[in-house]
Amino acid sequence: MSELPKVTDSNLVEPASASGGGAGSEWVATLRNAWSFNRTRIGVGIVVVIALLAVLGPVFAPHTPTEFVGAPYAKASGTALFGTDSLGRDVLTRVLYGGRTVLSLALAATIIGLFGGVTFGLIAGYARRWVDETVMRTLDVLLAFPQLVLVLLLISVVGPKLWLIVLMVGLSHAPRIARVTRAAALEISQRDFVKAAEALGESKLRILVAEILPNITSPLLVEFGLRLTYSIGLIAALSFLGFGLQPPAADWGLMINENRIGVSVQPWAVALPVMLIGVLTIGTNLIADGLGRALIGIERTGGES
Amino acid sequence: MSDELKKIGEIVVRERMSRRKFLRGVGATGAGLALGPLLAACGDSTTTTTAGGTATTAAGETTTTVAATKGGSLRVGIVGGSAKDTLDPGRSSFEPDNAFVTQLYDGLMGLDTDFRLENRLAEAVEPNADASVWKIKLKSGLEWHDGKPVTAEDVVFSFQRTLDPADPLLGAPGLGGLEPNGIVKIDDSTVEFRLTKPNAIFAEGLAMRYNMIVPVGYDPAKPVGCGAFKLAEFRPGEQCSFTAFDGFWRGAPNISDLTIIEFADEAARVNAFLSDTVHAITQLPRAQVGVVEASAGHQILRAKTGAWQPFCMRIDLEPYSDVRVRQAFRLMVDREQMVEQAYAGYGWVANDMYSPFDPGYPVDLPQRAQDLEKAKALLKEAGYENLQVELITSDAIGGGVVAAAQVFAEQAKGAGVTVTVNKVDSGVMYGDQYLTWPFSQDFWYTRNYLSQAAVGTMPTAQWNETHWDDAEWLKLVEEAFRTGDETKRNELITAAATIEYERGGNIIWAFNDQIDAHSEKLTGLAPDKSGIPIGGFRFHNVSLA
Repeated sequence: MSELPKVTDSNLVEPASASGGGAGSEWVATLRNAWSFNRTRIGVGIVVVIALLAVLGPVFAPHTPTEFVGAPYAKASGTALFGTDSLGRDVLTRVLYGGRTVLSLALAATIIGLFGGVTFGLIAGYARRWVDETVMRTLDVLLAFPQLVLVLLLISVVGPKLWLIVLMVGLSHAPRIARVTRAAALEISQRDFVKAAEALGESKLRILVAEILPNITSPLLVEFGLRLTYSIGLIAALSFLGFGLQPPAADWGLMINENRIGVSVQPWAVALPVMLIGVLTIGTNLIADGLGRALIGIERTGGES
Repeated sequence: MSDELKKIGEIVVRERMSRRKFLRGVGATGAGLALGPLLAACGDSTTTTTAGGTATTAAGETTTTVAATKGGSLRVGIVGGSAKDTLDPGRSSFEPDNAFVTQLYDGLMGLDTDFRLENRLAEAVEPNADASVWKIKLKSGLEWHDGKPVTAEDVVFSFQRTLDPADPLLGAPGLGGLEPNGIVKIDDSTVEFRLTKPNAIFAEGLAMRYNMIVPVGYDPAKPVGCGAFKLAEFRPGEQCSFTAFDGFWRGAPNISDLTIIEFADEAARVNAFLSDTVHAITQLPRAQVGVVEASAGHQILRAKTGAWQPFCMRIDLEPYSDVRVRQAFRLMVDREQMVEQAYAGYGWVANDMYSPFDPGYPVDLPQRAQDLEKAKALLKEAGYENLQVELITSDAIGGGVVAAAQVFAEQAKGAGVTVTVNKVDSGVMYGDQYLTWPFSQDFWYTRNYLSQAAVGTMPTAQWNETHWDDAEWLKLVEEAFRTGDETKRNELITAAATIEYERGGNIIWAFNDQIDAHSEKLTGLAPDKSGIPIGGFRFHNVSLA
């Protein structure tokens, strides 16, 4: 074995055993470290509150989401605490019902994106040479499209199906996640323990999954938080554009679309979902920010998208 | 990101608008223009035309002369079109086209604001006994914008242009029985239309916007008409401006010039109006009515129309092929609630029949109301308990349609029917599958019965959503087309409409109001029953304070 690259960041040097125990303690340490930032705590607080609202909300809803409780765009009253929507349904009830889809779809999309991105990133980072070039340049092409345009393009080809939207949002994240994964994997793959595993004749798959992956979980954790934020925004935007759930489903993005024309008459029907989506993304962003700081110890700069 | 989103939103919205209007505007429909005038309506006015029989009286044009202020520049905001906007009446499909050509041209006949036929350029319209030959005499002293007189030759030219076999214009389907060689000039001011078959509603075709008259040698790029306004400047997709034509046959307009501005964005249109940038706007969203009413100096122009947005059941497919299912579905609807929730109250309850202004419309049939028990019983009898159906809807159909679909789904629960609303894009709605959906919605403008039947329910109709095919009904309608006698024809229409009331495939739950808004400074507008916005875009008689 010739010279190894110089290792600078002690956080990343810790080699992982085959069981991943060492790496596990490493990302637990990152989490613990992140928790020490106030922003992380606030973020977690926000996300927990909104997640509870979305999950348990229907239990507390005063009406069913599709029943008519008054005239369209009626003002706030005893029967409808935040007034009614474009069809005369209770805004509060629909808000309480409408968070599940945004949250679950965004979460699913992020997981898909993470899976795809990590797969490509690991392969590119470990294989190097022409595989790296081919994979990454291809992903660069995808990266050139703004995410929403890319998703709309794909949806317009196949048609607006819910599973497709989740898949497409996920895949639109993949190139970005792949870049991060590749960068981290590139470095790890030069470590002694990887060389040792190679020398022992371990399969490439095993090296990728058992040796490299456990050692890059911390940056991936940050990436996950960040991508979740974008997923929420994208899913809500697609819902708003009418590609998401079908009416009469209650969904925050859809609510904004359905009620925007009456915003000057009955602002609640738009304001509530907008505020909730906004606050939720702030929450996930704060968490991602806290994790990022814990990981590299420096201020995150700008909002790379 | 937000800019990106907005742009995409705009593209999507514009695409929908134009798709819908294009697809349904082409052909005999016409976005906005009701082509089925009330033939021989009620006989309560001197302007009434009697088709198929007696001679037509001269048009006693009602020029309500209030002390009108002269002069002023009127600005009107309308729904935006595109670079494909046209000033050719024979190709005018979208709202901007409609607004523009209505200013520039006029027809032999037209419709008044009460949806009755009136003579315009025609002094008299005289059909023979079986309505197969129609003799038209022009008014005297008619003038084109360039000062030349309007003659019989112009009329012959206009209709030959419309019927050009190589490139027929949108007015052609409305002129049933007319061939290019059947248009005969008798003298300088008289033309005869010799039809290949009797057509009792030929006058309705003459009153179509598409069939307005153009001069010999007409060039759409340099449009010359004989309407109330001359063209000043035309920027497709943006705006069109006009100056008053002093030689207009009804008399010079009160205002001196007119600019019609297109707004692609609904909110921008409303804001332009509320900030007094324009004096009037079309298509005020129902949600904004309260805002306009509360704002000083602005008011609503609400017109009761015969326009409808039905639920269409395909009578040749299960489960709708069973008449009991169709009856049950009609009984599931609480029409008052649907008007309240989906139209915010801006509509009037309908009785599963179209053409409410037709003199043959059966007014004595009981109003159908929600009866969930009966609906359940009918479904059980038909073997369709706990029925699950899919309802195809789209924003592209029109305002309130998706809302109505959701109200329907909610009401259907009461009869144990599960309705899955499937909201599709305009391209899907009016794409290849259009007219094949088992259960969907659609929209129609005000028409009289036979005109509507010709385009929507006869086997030869272009847009027969329900695949309606009923021998007994068809016999009645075909006979009505041949019947010159008005009373007899109306009886046939009543009988045909009653059949549709009993076993038709449409759920016609309401006729929607047309809601526009105008400044209090703008006077002289009257609600128009056809559903054409802002009093049918009639600006020759309005004044600006």
